[in-house]
Amino acid sequence: MSSRWIRLTAIVAEREIRQRGRSRAFLISTIVLLLVVVAGVAIPAILAHNAKPQRVGVVGGQLAAMTEIVREAGRLTGTGVTVVPQPSLAAAEAALRSGELDVVLANDSEVVVKQVSVADSSGSGGGLASAIADVAGLSKLVGHLPPGAADRGVTLPVRGLTPPSASLSRRLTGLFTVVLVWVLISAYGSQIAMGVGEEKQNRIVEVILASVRPIQLLVGKVTGIGILALAQAALMVAAFLGLGAAVGSSLVHGAAPGIVITGAVFLILGYAFYCTAYAAAGALVSRQSDVGAVILPVQVPLIIAYALSYTVIYADGANVFYRVLGFLPPTAPIAMPVLYAAGDVPGWQAAVSAVLVAAGTVWMARTAATIYGRSILRTGSRVRLRQVLARGAAD
Amino acid sequence: MTVTPVTADPDVAGREVSLELIGLSRRFGSVVALDGLTFSVPPGEVFGFLGPNGAGKTTTMRAIFGVVALEAGQVRWQGQPVTEDARHRFGYMPEERGLYPSMQILEQLEYLGRLHEMTAASAREAARHWIGRLGLAGRESAKLEALSHGNQQRVQLAAALMHDPELLVLDEPFAGLDPGGVDDMTEILAERARAGVTVVFSSHQLDLVEHICESVAIIHRGRVVAQGAVSALERGDRLRLAVRVATDPGGDWARQLDPGIASVERVDAGMVLLVLAPDADSQKVLDTARTAGPVEHFSFATRRLSEVFRDVTGEDA
Repeated sequence: MSSRWIRLTAIVAEREIRQRGRSRAFLISTIVLLLVVVAGVAIPAILAHNAKPQRVGVVGGQLAAMTEIVREAGRLTGTGVTVVPQPSLAAAEAALRSGELDVVLANDSEVVVKQVSVADSSGSGGGLASAIADVAGLSKLVGHLPPGAADRGVTLPVRGLTPPSASLSRRLTGLFTVVLVWVLISAYGSQIAMGVGEEKQNRIVEVILASVRPIQLLVGKVTGIGILALAQAALMVAAFLGLGAAVGSSLVHGAAPGIVITGAVFLILGYAFYCTAYAAAGALVSRQSDVGAVILPVQVPLIIAYALSYTVIYADGANVFYRVLGFLPPTAPIAMPVLYAAGDVPGWQAAVSAVLVAAGTVWMARTAATIYGRSILRTGSRVRLRQVLARGAAD
Repeated sequence: MTVTPVTADPDVAGREVSLELIGLSRRFGSVVALDGLTFSVPPGEVFGFLGPNGAGKTTTMRAIFGVVALEAGQVRWQGQPVTEDARHRFGYMPEERGLYPSMQILEQLEYLGRLHEMTAASAREAARHWIGRLGLAGRESAKLEALSHGNQQRVQLAAALMHDPELLVLDEPFAGLDPGGVDDMTEILAERARAGVTVVFSSHQLDLVEHICESVAIIHRGRVVAQGAVSALERGDRLRLAVRVATDPGGDWARQLDPGIASVERVDAGMVLLVLAPDADSQKVLDTARTAGPVEHFSFATRRLSEVFRDVTGEDA
């Protein structure tokens, strides 16, 4: 790749950014997506403030001091609390299991909940439980230091009665990620296909190809549109995190760095995988109005992964089929962030999947570039894939 | 597919050549688009590229720009195989006009100029120059789709001229132009040629070609079937005479001519068209005609380019 190659490709990308960035469609879609994010973060936060009071069991220790700790934690998290003294730890755990209690502060030494999340095994199984653990630990610090407190920090351990699973907020963050990936890939992918179809339909492609190679036009176009997509995604994520922090949304508590990073990685990989496929699809038609029909097959894997993602988000544990989807390059960009956010796969598996998608992207880019290069100047009826990929069809 | 080495025919007049197409071959499935097509174009000339529909004109032009891959043959510019560098100094106006309909014309021209390696500033300057030159001043920020068809054609021409190309290739530049547009186009092509630019264009309007071009190539089924200076093609390889004798509308007098002097090609409403034998004296024909009656018309005849075209291709343009 010479510097000229890059320079001319950058000019193509720059045109895409300028023309699309200032279009009304881009402005409107940005505003609409922002409104969706604002609503998605703010509405649950508002509802959370009106949540029913939590019942907190206390076992052992001084009732007055422990009540004070629980009240303080409730005040900190904006949660109404009712303190229910328990005769023994066993009785408290039974009440926790039956749902009579939400949290138990036991013997001034641990906090017990029904289930802690894997998002943060050091404590945050939910706002209130971790706040109790914090406040109780702090109150011990000002009193006297228990043995080993300096090593463990001052927060009391939070123990779950059942094996940890991803918290709902974590899952909802996963949902946010998956919606973002789906919306951006399908929306910008369609734009790529429409843009290619437009250039082919009005024949400007012949003027452009007299000075740049098809691959430069392809790379410039998907890079330019990709930069816009990423900018829009970054804006959404910033709004999500910023607004979430401001209103103390529990959704954002679930946005552990791991989920955000996984989402970002798979958004980029997913775009990279699909952008060239959309461009190749757009190159097959002669009229822009036919673009819809050719991009449908490209979208099918995305649609499947997206539709099934709801079964993972709202179920306990993903099925084997969805786990397989998490490793197939066409479906992984949506399936893997969901699986990871739901706590169904560890980080290393997400990394393996990312490598597989990256490899698939290289293959896809080569195939798509071939299809694109051979179809972009063919007019008349729709170009058949088999025809384009047949050996000796060099063009 | 093996590449057969083909050498260019030395240019008849021994003039220097700028663009050479040597043995270009390309098939699309079972259709042979180019079949060893060979011709060359002298520099600074307006060169017409003619042929019936489907003869391979557009494929040839695309091949010059490397937009169509060749199975055999080579395109050379100033004696060297065409490189990407050289192509950036070519200007192209394809048959199927194409620009971005919703992009402003100034921006659009600037973009296309930059794709030919102009700086943003010089591209902008050139865009303004050509917009003014083509009578579109004041429309710089208009979208292409807001312009009339004729004005869109002008923008298309400006796109090809933006980077001051050394070679200008135009596919049917006169198609769809009104008379004013034809005049503008003619003037600009002639002006470019005077500035040393090699101008190659294809057309079906043979009257125009006759008027504008110094030389032409006529292709048929992917091969060159006639090429050379327009005047030479119109004269043909032998001199022709057109003679009319007032009292002999059937042209019977001409049948008595010695075949060593001239032979009758055809008689058309009293006008006898004769082909003169090599080295024969045309005055002998006049003498024979006079003995038959008063001679109303006596001249050297040329064929129209359209007749040459029909002769070599068997089709009307």
